[in-house]
This record gives sequence, C-alpha cells and structure tokens, in this order.
Amino acid sequence: MAKKIRIVLTLQLPAGKATPAPPVGTALGPHGINIVEFTKSYNEKTADKAGQVIPAQITVYEDRSFTFVLKTPPAADMLRKAAGIDKGSGTPKRETIGRVTRAQVRDIAAIKMADLSANDIEAAARMIEGTARSMGIEVEAAAKG
Amino acid sequence: MGRWLELTVESDIEAVEAVCEILARVAPGGTSVEPGFELVEDGLGARIDTNRPATIRAYVPALDRAAADHAVAIVSEALGHLQAFNLRPIGELRTTVVDEADWAEAWKEHFHVLRLGRRLVIKPSWERHQRGADDEVVIDLDPGMAFGTGLHPTTRLCLEALEARADRGPLGRALDVGCGSGILSIAAVKLGATRAVGVDIDPIAIEATLANARHNRAGKRVRAHEGSVPTDRGPFDLVLANLIAGLLVELAAPLAAELVPGGTLIASGIFIDREPEVRAALESAGLRITGRRHETDWVALEAIGPA
Repeated sequence: MAKKIRIVLTLQLPAGKATPAPPVGTALGPHGINIVEFTKSYNEKTADKAGQVIPAQITVYEDRSFTFVLKTPPAADMLRKAAGIDKGSGTPKRETIGRVTRAQVRDIAAIKMADLSANDIEAAARMIEGTARSMGIEVEAAAKG
Repeated sequence: MGRWLELTVESDIEAVEAVCEILARVAPGGTSVEPGFELVEDGLGARIDTNRPATIRAYVPALDRAAADHAVAIVSEALGHLQAFNLRPIGELRTTVVDEADWAEAWKEHFHVLRLGRRLVIKPSWERHQRGADDEVVIDLDPGMAFGTGLHPTTRLCLEALEARADRGPLGRALDVGCGSGILSIAAVKLGATRAVGVDIDPIAIEATLANARHNRAGKRVRAHEGSVPTDRGPFDLVLANLIAGLLVELAAPLAAELVPGGTLIASGIFIDREPEVRAALESAGLRITGRRHETDWVALEAIGPA
C-alpha cells in the first residue's frame, strides 16, 4: 500500500520489557499510533533476548500506521561483551575498566555498519572506538597473548 | 500522576552510540533517537541524513529530586568527557519536566467512527455506532501496525471507488493486491463480493487480514495468501490494487491478466505526478480507463479489462 512516511525514529529498549512509559510513550504518543500494539509486538519479537538492549527502528506513516525492524545491539553492549565487563566507567579519562583490540573494534563496526548510518567501515570504526573510550574501554593495537 | 525528567542531547551521527550509552547509565528504560532524515520516492521512502544531528532522549523519574539531579550530573560529566574522544560535536544537555500521561490509551483520541462514500462506516471497537440506513456497511477495525488511526487518502479513494462500483452491479470474485490490514477485502465482501482473495508480500499483512476478516464475520469469504500477482487463483471480476505508481506500472500486465473479460481494476496509490505513467502502462496492458478520483496528491483510476 502506498503510504507516506511521517517520521523515522529508533528506540533502544530492554528486550521483552518495553512498556508505554517513556521513552516509548513520549516518542510515539505525539504521532498517534497504537502504542500497546508496538510494545506487545516488540516484546514478542525480543522475548528470547531478555537482558539485552535491542533497538527498534520505527517508521510511522501519515495514516498513523507503523512498521518496525529490529537492529543490532548497541555498540556499548557489544563492547562490554568484547571487553568482558558489565558496565562503563564513570570517569573514563582517569579509569580504564577494560580493553578491546582494534580488530575487535573493526569486527563490531562491520556488524553494525548498516545500522550506524556510517559512510564506510573507517567511519563506523571511529564511532565504535569513540564509544569505547567514552566508556573507559581502552582500544589497543594488537591482541594480548 | 508521575513526572519524568526528559534529558535531551543533540548529537552528530558519529556520537549517537556513545551518547546513548551515557544516557542508558541513568535511564535503564531506554533511549529514543530521532535522526535527521529526508523523504525520497515521493515520500514513500526515507533516507537518514548523516550531516544533520540526531536528537537523543532518555527519561528519569523526576519525583525524587535528588536522584534526578544526580543523574543529570553523571550524564553532564560523561558528555563532557566525550568531547575529548575525537567524536564530532554534540550539543548541550537539556532537561525538561514531562508529566505522566496515559500513553497506553491516549492515541485512541486520534481515531473515531469514519464515514466514507455513501454507506461505508469504519468503526473502532471502543466506539459505539448507531446503525443508520439499511444498506449501511459497517467495518470493525482497530488500528494497529498495518492499519493506522488515520485513513490514508489512497485507501479512502479505493473504498469510494469500490462502493461506487458495487452500486453499479454485483462485484463477483475480488482480488486485493497488497491487502495490508484487509480493509479492502472486507469492504468488498460486505459490499457483495462473493469472495475476496488478498495477497501481500508481508506475512504480517496476511495475519492482519485474516484476523480482521474473522472479526468482521467475513472469515469464510476472505482468503489471504503471501505473495503477489500472478496468483494462479484467477480470473477475478474485480481487482483492487492499492499499491504505488512504480508497482502499478511494473505489474500492469499481470494485474490485467487476473481479470475476467470486461472485469474491473481499481488502481490506487498513484502520486499525482506519476499519473500519466500509470495510465500509459494500464492502457498498454489492454485496459480502458473509465474513472478517476483524486484527493490531495493522490489519484485512483478505474479501468476495464478487454472484452
């Protein structure tokens, strides 16, 4: 069906646990779509990924219908996994809480390439690296033995 | 009622992931990212504009003032560090208090009983409707993913053309190409079609069509299958194609091939600038255009198949 797009937005939500509370209600409410239909469908599709954050890219049409697609987990989650830690540092300039290799950064960049709106792998890697450093994760040139 | 503190940051696309991570430290409920985008293909597609900043939002409960202030302090500090990590600029952190609303129900205000043409009524389950004239056709439809809270002009045009066609004589067997919510298939059988077959390439649409048909006690006369034309289920007396101009051009011949001799095609979803192209394609597929409706930027055409 031919439908004009009203807005495109992404919600990063806890898998299987989305509710109409913010950010869902505040992001989708103004566009008049059936929010419960969204949370129900999102939770069904992400039920097997509980504990992770799974972004949903939502397209709202002019008739206030919508579709959404699930995206790759946030870079931060993938970095935490790669570094073997569970949270970021509050003071990343002073404190290093984990390490990843440049190769790991590139692997994550490759997986997230399509979802990052990056022009090339270098730009994607730069985004991942920036995120890593902001979290207090050091990026090193080679893998440690 | 609760209150939320909304934390908003404008960020270059490059820093979106990092900013989301920072906000998620204090707002485990999640973040929303609104990128800059431009519409393409007459508004049917969207392309993220990487040169424009994205707006990122997250929410913390505002009632506990001290906790909210602490969250803001954590985010401010982490955003400050971010500038040093070689990511392109991000804007200031802004905060606004947002009152809790009944988000789960509020959207219903956007959708009420809709009247179309002379006797079509579309009604959500939570609204009452006093039946009017005897020949009124009421379709029960709750907005969800496939069917929105506002009827798109292309669907409205198609329904009006369908009603007008039903007024001129029996509809016979109908094919609904790109059935979506199933609204056209349901309307067709309620307006007298002996059977409607919906096809759609989206499996969600097939489920929606069948569920909505059952809900409207039309389950026996509406069928839906994943796919497109040709269907090998024809020929049909009536073909409804609420698609887009490009697809109508591409599918003109297979659509025409689904028709019985002299059958009717209702083609909708035609952006007004592309009408000549669609007309030409339908005509070269052997169809004769007999009617035209338009609303805002959209056109629907009615055509008759070769006898």
